[in-house]
Amino acid sequence: MTGGVAFSPALAALVLFGVFFGLMFLRVPVAFALGLACLPVMLFEDRLSPMIIFNETFKSYNSFILLAVPFFLLTANLMNAGGITDRLVRLSRDLVGHFPGGLAQVNVVLSIFFAGISGSSTADAASQGKIFINAQVKEGYDLSFSVAITAVSAVLAVIIPPSILMIVWGGTLTVSIGALFLAGIIPGLLLGLVQMATVHAYAKLRNYPKYARSTFREVVAALAVAVPALMTPVIIIGGKVFGWFTATESAAIAVLYAAVLSIFFYREMSSRALYDALADTGKLAAVALFCVGTASAFGWLLAYYQIPKALLAGVGSWGMGITGTGFFIAFCFLMVGCFLDAIPAIIIVGTILEPLARAVNMDPVHFAMVGIISLAFGLVTPPYGLCLMISCAIAKVRMVYVLKDVAIMLLPMLGVLAATIVWPEIILFLPQLVSPELLK
Amino acid sequence: MPVAWPQQPAPTRKWVMRKFIHGYYRVLNWLLVGSVAILIIPVSLQIFSRFTQLIPSYIWTEEMARFLFIWMIMLGAMIGIRDGAHFDVDLWPELKPRPNALLRIVSSVFVLMFALVFIWYGIKFVQFGWDQSSELAEMPMNYIFIAWPLSGLTWVLFLGERFLHDLRTLAEKPPA
Repeated sequence: MTGGVAFSPALAALVLFGVFFGLMFLRVPVAFALGLACLPVMLFEDRLSPMIIFNETFKSYNSFILLAVPFFLLTANLMNAGGITDRLVRLSRDLVGHFPGGLAQVNVVLSIFFAGISGSSTADAASQGKIFINAQVKEGYDLSFSVAITAVSAVLAVIIPPSILMIVWGGTLTVSIGALFLAGIIPGLLLGLVQMATVHAYAKLRNYPKYARSTFREVVAALAVAVPALMTPVIIIGGKVFGWFTATESAAIAVLYAAVLSIFFYREMSSRALYDALADTGKLAAVALFCVGTASAFGWLLAYYQIPKALLAGVGSWGMGITGTGFFIAFCFLMVGCFLDAIPAIIIVGTILEPLARAVNMDPVHFAMVGIISLAFGLVTPPYGLCLMISCAIAKVRMVYVLKDVAIMLLPMLGVLAATIVWPEIILFLPQLVSPELLK
Repeated sequence: MPVAWPQQPAPTRKWVMRKFIHGYYRVLNWLLVGSVAILIIPVSLQIFSRFTQLIPSYIWTEEMARFLFIWMIMLGAMIGIRDGAHFDVDLWPELKPRPNALLRIVSSVFVLMFALVFIWYGIKFVQFGWDQSSELAEMPMNYIFIAWPLSGLTWVLFLGERFLHDLRTLAEKPPA
């Protein structure tokens, strides 16, 4: 280092994280707190300047891969506005409404369907909160249970493909997005099943109501109406996996498909609804992605001072195998997920932990999915769990009120996470089966 | 707060400013909606040109998509300040209106600092891009870089509106 002020890695880490957490505590938006935390270091370190913020934000936004994020959001918004959600509700009701706790089961199954169309859990929590929370309470379900199951089932949207988190992970850590899409299917469905079992247990204990069983003809009719919508994930995942399109192109195809479906097939789209769908998409995508830029600047500084290496210096000597490392990674992401949004967490913590996973030869797809599932759980853990915050806001209750039910529902889900760590095949089976060339 | 802020600033000026800010906000909204809607075009062209012979494969589609995308993000980030849409973490218990307004002012001051950085260094960023043009369409890069200082300016405008609102809440007498 030449003259002037030079930060040692320890001091740089202290300033970066200290300022960031301090600002976050003062309720400064995360994206801005990350950018501001970079400033002292960039201003005082001789060889750096705040221009790095501009280089890093420009570089991260100038990305054809991330362009898939608004497209996936738009697909989901178009389908919502075009009346597709109503058809999927009917189908779910015909399929699982006769189980104990019928409406809550419908809530979970709809989340699974929706997860295959949308890549955003927050969009899922917002739209389903409006549909289910009130309706469940009216049918005699407890309010805290209703809020909790809506929030917890929304988590599936980022685990079942397509998923915004997979796009961001694949883009920043260069992992095949096609492989991630395939890898998310089995863990996502397992989590859905586990949630249905939890609802079943609740319903038995608390005597929640169920609907009359639908006839076979009703199921077929509902299925026939919903099939075009359910083709969306096939187009997205198929197009990506078989290499016809890039991730972004398959997302664009999905948008065109959703538009055609809503306008010509279901025919419920008004011009006002179209405007709202476009505006919501732009706003949500932009605030999420803006954060990618400042998080990248923050991550750039961490790398510049080699802070990840310093943080993990001790961990390497613990001699953990793949399983031990997997649990360590899951633990880190679960902790971080409590305080940080998933996208900046991937960019910052994902890059910190990556060398650790590589050192024990953990498959990059396995590492990615353990991280994504853990971060997805972070969407319902306080104090910063976006899905939980949205559901609580819709029901007008405070977060503390529903925490017990959320914790109960999370326990079996953590079991699934542990299973994916111990048996990587749960994650790797489908990608190996369909397109082994995507791995490694 | 010891300073006695006027409860009602000069009514006409306030009205004009409000109207201006709201009009500007609506223009930004339309631009954002437009950018999302148009984004789909270059990407679709790219696909159709690859699979059909109907249109030539334009070389600029990918670049145009990326540049529109940058504008979409920056426009949404500008609007997000007025909407309060940027995610924050609330570790505080439920606050009464006045402490809440005070906390909002504190956090707005920091956002304002970042806005000023965007203006100050953003202008340098634009100067740096003065004689650069894009690789494929040879568009001046400043059409893109200008979004940074413009975001800074827009944030200052929207934050000013929020400061006034919060200061007024602070100045109000707490309910007895």
